[in-house]
Amino acid sequence: MVRSIIMTIILLLGSFAFVKPPTDTYAFSSQLIERGSFGDDVVELQARLQWLGYYNGKIDGIFGYGTYWALRNFQKEFELDIDGKAGSKTKTKLVNATQYNEKWVKQQMDAGNQFTHYGGTPLAQQTKAGAGSSKSSDVQVPTKYSERDLQLMANAVYGEARGEPYEGQVAVAAVILNRLESPEFPNTISDIIFQPGAFTAVADGQIWLTPNERAKEAVLDAMNGWDPTENALYYFNPKTATSKWIWSRPQIKQIGEHIFCH
Amino acid sequence: MKSAIYLMSIVILALGLYAYDVRQENTQLQQTVHAQYTNSLTKASEKLTSLQQSVSQSLLFQDQEALEKELDNIWRTSNEFRSSISNLPLSTDVANDWLRYVGNIGEEAKYVADNGDYDEWYKKMGTVNENLQALSDEWAVATSNYYQNDGDFKKWANVAANETKESPFKNVSANLKSYTETDFPLTASESDWKKKQELQNLNDKEITKDQAIDKLELLLPGIKDATYTVTQSKEDAPYPFYHIQFVKGSRIGYADITVKGGHILSFLSERPVQEQTGITQQQIKDLTNQFLERAGYKDLQLVEMRENHDAWHISLARVAGKHKALVYPDGIQLKVSKDSGELLGFNAMEYVQKETVDENQPVNPVDWNTFFRPGTFIEEERMIYTENEGFQLRLCYEVIARFDNKLNETFRVVVDAENHDVIKVEYMP
Repeated sequence: MVRSIIMTIILLLGSFAFVKPPTDTYAFSSQLIERGSFGDDVVELQARLQWLGYYNGKIDGIFGYGTYWALRNFQKEFELDIDGKAGSKTKTKLVNATQYNEKWVKQQMDAGNQFTHYGGTPLAQQTKAGAGSSKSSDVQVPTKYSERDLQLMANAVYGEARGEPYEGQVAVAAVILNRLESPEFPNTISDIIFQPGAFTAVADGQIWLTPNERAKEAVLDAMNGWDPTENALYYFNPKTATSKWIWSRPQIKQIGEHIFCH
Repeated sequence: MKSAIYLMSIVILALGLYAYDVRQENTQLQQTVHAQYTNSLTKASEKLTSLQQSVSQSLLFQDQEALEKELDNIWRTSNEFRSSISNLPLSTDVANDWLRYVGNIGEEAKYVADNGDYDEWYKKMGTVNENLQALSDEWAVATSNYYQNDGDFKKWANVAANETKESPFKNVSANLKSYTETDFPLTASESDWKKKQELQNLNDKEITKDQAIDKLELLLPGIKDATYTVTQSKEDAPYPFYHIQFVKGSRIGYADITVKGGHILSFLSERPVQEQTGITQQQIKDLTNQFLERAGYKDLQLVEMRENHDAWHISLARVAGKHKALVYPDGIQLKVSKDSGELLGFNAMEYVQKETVDENQPVNPVDWNTFFRPGTFIEEERMIYTENEGFQLRLCYEVIARFDNKLNETFRVVVDAENHDVIKVEYMP
């Protein structure tokens, strides 16, 4: 009796071992996904919509208008409420109608490959190794700025103010953006940062250090409107500044080692 | 002994070769930079001459088409001149004055071309033309040394390092300052960044440091009993404010509060945030509304939400007028943590000094079917107030338009509600 029970258990376990592990994992979180969302849920949403041909843009984890219209078209076709939001009904319908190879998609994104995730075509034929243009987006920036702007400003902030408090780092980023609005300075972020003599970090090469996440977050806050300098156009370190001119500028406030002025 | 001398000779020879190599590299680098500076200087000088001639020629025509061609030329040349100037190692003072003066000419040309205010152009540009000629002459004198064939890079290296009064550009600088004041006097509220300075017009009752802290804690109960360091803005600041720095547990942050009226201008707190999302987007919206209610902001509407690794950034704008239009220049921004929904940031600098909206601006309907090409769908439409290129606050239609193509390309188009001028077109990814 005991032997037959043991045999049954072994047979059952053996049969489980032959069950093919699912390649299509239900990985959506319980969150409602809508315009403005960002992250893994959105990557999955875009990949699944692309599987059916509704989404033809870049799979980047940012829920913008391209994803929004694709989702609405899917909802219309599958007779769901058309609201452009992925709630539990929409997600279930999508999961049942598509496949999602999460591991493969993540690999492509991490490698910076150019890829798509259409159904009916082997995935291996949908990637261009090293094309490099569709690496996963790190952040969502306001429409008037680009990720390139954020990267360049993060380099400048890190090179100029990495030892400063967070407020001081947001302040340096805000000065760059204030210059962008001012008629006294060039019209692009790149021209402002690389204007000869404008930033010490450019002159001494520290702008080429790799910025940390804190510097990027500081730039992101400045791009979203924060300006701890109260509209300053210049700053200087009073311990090291040698220019008489900079001391003549009307001062606003001091943050860490920097005095901010008009 | 012989071996030592032999080894020493090899070391000296190696060092000599190394020094020669470094020197060669430095010389090459200097020559490259020298060539770039000379190129920018040449371009700037040529563009200045073209600009001066174009301004002069614009005063020649009464014919609208001929004048508009010249205005377009002035706008383009002024931008090119600005670009060349910003590539030169001029002192900040001189560079800023040039960028402002020439930028003003370009902006004026664009404004006149858009609005057809030609009489204003003739009135203003007579003097500008003469002053530009004088500046052009001064510039030629100041830069003549840089074209000498002695290849002396030190001259360039000294330009930015010297104070303006010691540099050959001192006359140019002095004239630019004077001409900017006379030719383009500042007008109130020309743009957003000037609007912030208008906070100096606040006339509310002054509050003390302690009252400022009370105000902050009332709005943000989470930082109650933090350790505070309060300083006041510097004497030259256009409006006085308290700069409150606080530490509470792992939270470090600041808040700026106006001395007059105790208006919170901005607040930002930094603390470790778990990336794991604990709350939904709807909960973030609810928390935003609760905060606005507690703070007494009753006229705001959500415009945009953007999620990132640690936090949500939320933009709101004031709703005003009989059309219930969004006043974009009167915006507020919030930053809310993803792990607990805690308010990490608040920015109301532009909201404190509210814009005056023109309730009487006519609103003429637009037939979007003829305004846009076939195959374009209008998905959303609302009324907003925003600034046009002449820095006037205008009531506008804001539409979200979509191409019916494979990528569903989407655009935000802002159209003046009265004259149907297109004020802005933005690609929405």
